[in-house]
Amino acid sequence: MTKQIELSGVNKYYGAFHALKNIELSIEKGSFVALVGPSGCGKSTLLRSLAGLESISTGDLKIAGELMNNVPPRKRDIAMVFQSYALYPHMTVEQNLTYSLRIRGVPKAEAKKAAEEVAATTGLSQLLGRYPRELSGGQRQRVAMSRAIIRHPKAFLFDEPLSNLDAALRVHMRKEIRTLHDRLGATSVYVTHDQIEAMTMADHVVVMKDGVIEQQGAPLELYDRPANKFVAGFIGSPAMNFVPAVVGEDGRSLAVDVGEKQTITLDQQLQPGRRVTAGLRPEHLHFVEPGQGVFRLPVGIVESTGSATYITTATAAEVTIVETARRPVKTGDIIDVSIRPADVHVFDGETGLRV
Amino acid sequence: MKRLLSSIRDGNGFDIVLVAFPLGFLFLMAGLPLLYNILMSFQEVDMFSLGTFLRPFVGFKNYQDLFAQPETWPILGNTAIFVIGSIAGQFLIGFGLALFFWVNFPGASWLRGLFLVSWVMPGLVVGAIWNWILSGDFGVLNFMLRETGIISGNIFWRSDPNYSLYAVIIANVWLGTAFNMILLSVGLASIPGDLYEAAELDGANAWQRFWTITLPMMRSTIGAIISLGLIFTLQQFDLFAAITSGGPNNSSNVTQYWAWDLSFRQYDFAKGATISVIMIVFVMFASVVYVRSTRHEVRG
Repeated sequence: MTKQIELSGVNKYYGAFHALKNIELSIEKGSFVALVGPSGCGKSTLLRSLAGLESISTGDLKIAGELMNNVPPRKRDIAMVFQSYALYPHMTVEQNLTYSLRIRGVPKAEAKKAAEEVAATTGLSQLLGRYPRELSGGQRQRVAMSRAIIRHPKAFLFDEPLSNLDAALRVHMRKEIRTLHDRLGATSVYVTHDQIEAMTMADHVVVMKDGVIEQQGAPLELYDRPANKFVAGFIGSPAMNFVPAVVGEDGRSLAVDVGEKQTITLDQQLQPGRRVTAGLRPEHLHFVEPGQGVFRLPVGIVESTGSATYITTATAAEVTIVETARRPVKTGDIIDVSIRPADVHVFDGETGLRV
Repeated sequence: MKRLLSSIRDGNGFDIVLVAFPLGFLFLMAGLPLLYNILMSFQEVDMFSLGTFLRPFVGFKNYQDLFAQPETWPILGNTAIFVIGSIAGQFLIGFGLALFFWVNFPGASWLRGLFLVSWVMPGLVVGAIWNWILSGDFGVLNFMLRETGIISGNIFWRSDPNYSLYAVIIANVWLGTAFNMILLSVGLASIPGDLYEAAELDGANAWQRFWTITLPMMRSTIGAIISLGLIFTLQQFDLFAAITSGGPNNSSNVTQYWAWDLSFRQYDFAKGATISVIMIVFVMFASVVYVRSTRHEVRG
C-alpha cells in the first residue's frame, strides 16, 4: 500500500492558540479516513490544512510523496466538498461541474462530455441546466460531490457534508458516498462530529480532541479497545457508562461504586487497591435472574424506541442499559444485570488511560 | 360601513391606506410637478403668461427651437462626457478602493469609514475647495503636475475651455467615489468566502477568481451603482455653480445647469422645461435598469 497523504509532526498555531498538536497521520491510497471529534477539536483545521486553505506552522505534509507545505491549494490537486456545498450560485449545474475543467483550459465539448458522464453516475442528468437555487438539499449535495469527482483528484476531502440534510437522507447519502468512494478507488478524508457516520463509513477512524489525536485505528478496534476514557465515551451510542471503582484484594475483581458497592470480576490481573474507572457499555449489560447478577440496580427512567429500551438507573453514578428484548420494566423496579468480564473496560482513575 | 371600517383596521383596506400615503405624497410632490413640467414644454411661456396655468399650446415648437440653437448639441455632448467620465472615474476608483479595503488589513474598516467624509460634504463646499486646488496660479494640482514634470506651464483649469469641463469631472469623481466604494464594499462582503475557497481548490488563480466569481456575483450591485451614478451625475448642479458656472462660453455647460440657467436666470421656463423632459427620458431609463438589477440579485 502506498501512502497518499502523510503528516508528520504537524503543528498549527493561531497566535497563542495551539490548534493542532504534533499530528502524526498517514493515509493509504484508496482508504476512507474519518476525522471525528467534538466541535473545536481541530478536525476541520486539519482538513483545511490538507487542502491548503490553512497553512501549517511546523511539520511536514506530503501528498503522493511530494512535500506540500507551501504549495497553494490550486496546485495540490485535491477536491473538497464543503458543509455549505459552496456551489457557484451564478452558474448552472453543468457550469458548476465543468468549472475546474474550464479553468484548466479543457475544450468545451470535452468538458461537457465529462459533466454528462459524471451526472449520469450521480443521478443529475436531468438537472444539468438548473441553477443551484432551484435544487433541493440532497441534489445540491450531489452537485458538490460531482464537482469533486469530475476532476479525478489525488484525494477527496469532505467537511461535514451531510450535516445540512435531514436524518433519512443522511443515512442514504452515507451509503452513497461510501459506494462512490469504492467505485472510484479514491482516497477520502471525511470530517464529522457524528461518530456513527465515522464508524459506518470509514476504514480508519481518527478521534481528535483539543488538537490532539487521541486514538486512530479501525472502527471496531476503537470500539473494542478504546485507548482512553475520552475515546471510550465518544465512540458508541448510547455512550459508555463510567463508574468509579477500586481493584479488589485478589487483583481480579472490581468493587464498583454505583450507589452501593457491587463487585464484578475481571479477566486481567491488576494491582490490588488501585483506584480506577470502570467502563461498561450499555449494550453489554444484560438482564439475569434475580440473585444471579453482579448488579442490583433501582430503575430511574425507562425510554422505549420500539427496537430497544434504554433504562437509566436511579443511582449516584447513573448507569444506562440497552435491552433489545421487551421487558415490563418500570420506574422504581429493582433489576439484576450482569456483564461478561471481557466486556469490562478499565481506565486509570487519574490519567484516564486504558489499563 | 362597519365592514369598511374593519377592513381598514385589519385587512386589505389597511394595506391600501398604508400604500396610499406614500403614493399620495409622491404624486403631490414629484408626480404633479413632473407632469406640469412636461405640459410646460409644449406651451408658450413668457413673462405675461407666467401666472396662468393654461397657456397657448405650441406643440413641438420649443423642441424645434431648442435644437435650432447652436449651443444645444455641444451642451448635450458635454453632458455625455460629464456623465461617462464621472461614472467611469467614480466606479473604477471606487471598485479599486473597495477591493483594496476588502483585503482587510488592520484599520481597514476605520479608514474606509473616513472616505465617506467626501460624500457627506455639501457640493458647494467641495466646489470651493476644488477651486483652490484647481486654481491656475497657485493651485496645488498645477504645482504637483509641474513638479513631477508632467506639464511645463500652468493649466488654467477653470477658465480654459479645453479643461473647464474636466475640472468639474475631477471634482465630481472625488465627490462620488466614496459612495461607489461603500456600495461595492457591501456587494463584495456579501459574496460567501467558501466560494473563493472552492474556486481555489478547483484550480483558479486570483485573476480567474476575480473574473469568474467576483464580477458575476457583483453584477446586480454594479448594475445598481451605475444606474444610480447616472441619476446622481445628471443631478450634479452644485459643482458647476461653484467651479465654472458652465463657462467659459458654455464649454463646461451641461443640461442640468443649462435648464436652471434658462428657467431661473433668463426666465425662459418653456426651454428649461423642454431640457428637463429630455433628461427625464434618460433618468427613466436608468431607473428601469436600477430596479431590474436590484430585483435580479443572485444569492445562493
